[in-house]
Amino acid sequence: MSELKLQHLDKIYDNKVQAVFDFNLDVKDGELIVLVGPSGCGKSTTLRMVAGLEDISAGSLIIDGRDVTQMPPKDRDIAMVFQDYALYGHMTIYENMAFSLMLRKENKNVIHQKVMAAAEILDLTDQLNKKPNQLSGGQRQRVAMGRAIVRTPKVFLFDEPLSNLDAKLRGATRREILLLHKRLKATMLYVTHDQTEALTLADRIVCMSMGHVQQIGTPLELYDTPANIFVASFIGLPPINLFDVEIKEGQAVCSDFVLDLDDREKEQLAGYENKTVVLGVRPEDIVQGGNIEVKVFSNENLGQTTLVSGALRRHKITCKFREWCTYKAGDTVKVTFKKKHFFDKDTTNAI
Amino acid sequence: MNLENDAIIKKDRLRFTKNKLSANLTLLAIVFNAFYFVSIYKSDVGNYYYKLIIGISVVYNLLFMLAAFLSSEGVKGYKMFYSYVLVLLGAGQVIRIFILPRAARDAVVTLSEMEQRVMGDAQFTRVCIYLIVSAVLCVAAAVINIGKSTTLAGYQAELEKKQKGVSHE
Repeated sequence: MSELKLQHLDKIYDNKVQAVFDFNLDVKDGELIVLVGPSGCGKSTTLRMVAGLEDISAGSLIIDGRDVTQMPPKDRDIAMVFQDYALYGHMTIYENMAFSLMLRKENKNVIHQKVMAAAEILDLTDQLNKKPNQLSGGQRQRVAMGRAIVRTPKVFLFDEPLSNLDAKLRGATRREILLLHKRLKATMLYVTHDQTEALTLADRIVCMSMGHVQQIGTPLELYDTPANIFVASFIGLPPINLFDVEIKEGQAVCSDFVLDLDDREKEQLAGYENKTVVLGVRPEDIVQGGNIEVKVFSNENLGQTTLVSGALRRHKITCKFREWCTYKAGDTVKVTFKKKHFFDKDTTNAI
Repeated sequence: MNLENDAIIKKDRLRFTKNKLSANLTLLAIVFNAFYFVSIYKSDVGNYYYKLIIGISVVYNLLFMLAAFLSSEGVKGYKMFYSYVLVLLGAGQVIRIFILPRAARDAVVTLSEMEQRVMGDAQFTRVCIYLIVSAVLCVAAAVINIGKSTTLAGYQAELEKKQKGVSHE
């Protein structure tokens, strides 16, 4: 397996629209990197540049110390798994998986061994004589993965591979991808807009917006210490609650509440005295008890947790309580914030 | 699965690959049959061929092509029955040499007050080659399919036996 380096990658289309701005990333051997972001943020474009399906406008792409920026896709030794599987409908599963090796004119017995090994990993041995239309979506996606595995490429690329699957199958296939990664110890680049996939699969996540990298870090880093308001809002479900607060004499003053800052927060916000900053509180960091009054709009029991949507005086708020709650619309619940994130209002960066 | 050597891998491969060699040989036999009937039907020898025999020949050609095509699909899936069909078709191609080509070779027609043979030696040799090649291809496809089908059936029986052994343990 191998290392991948994306250095100052830009993508500018012929119509002068720039889709990716100065993308830098070092992927270590055997690492699973997830590119996450909303639609149109440039994550798929970046992946396609790595695959060679899009030209790189500026910057360089290095795989295993070799500059492949100008190389055609077939010479990059990369395998890509697409969202729509891209299987050949007239071929059997065996033929689909063996096809790329047949094109390379590899020994037929070697091809067979590789296909059988991949089929066993993916639990497809009993399906090898079937055609793709006889398989379920999850099985088809496994075939697409098998087709990538048999090539033993340097890098695996996944372009939203689970988007066409229903929720249950998505969860199961996600776990399979994770197991596959652990088993193959392969370098993988995975694109998704689903933060759950990103958080559960990634060794590191690259969060993107409008063609710019917002933050690169482990799932915990992105969740716990988001670099800016975008990352804070994008990672986490339900999304983080944001309030404008003014820092005054050791307190964060909002139109709806006043919070006493602890020593660490005071030190953190020392340069923001009498200035307005953005306070972010994750729904799961709000606990019952305290002096902030929330008027309940809705109470959704999710089993172990309860999602309570409501309003302060001026702001809406979502709380995720660990208890089973039975609030009714119009009830008032008192809450407090366990953990707070502060962001500069002008730059939107974390303080 | 423990695929220890090339021979076993080769057998195991049969479970997932089609018998394309036999299928393609059969299709090639159809092509050579087409060369044969085109060679005869394009002959400009007056109305010599306008007899019942040519009607039968046309019908047989159609039947041959249909049967050969079906056999091509059959042998692709290692069906033994179609090997026998192919052997019969191959034998038929050889027998055909002694019907129409032979008769045409011996026949003489008068065209523009000149006598000439219906089928010259060169054309006769050519159509014989077409029919023989077609016959050989049919038989070769059949023999290859018999070999592969037998191997596959034996291997599958072996696998089943092993599986039963495992489940009993």
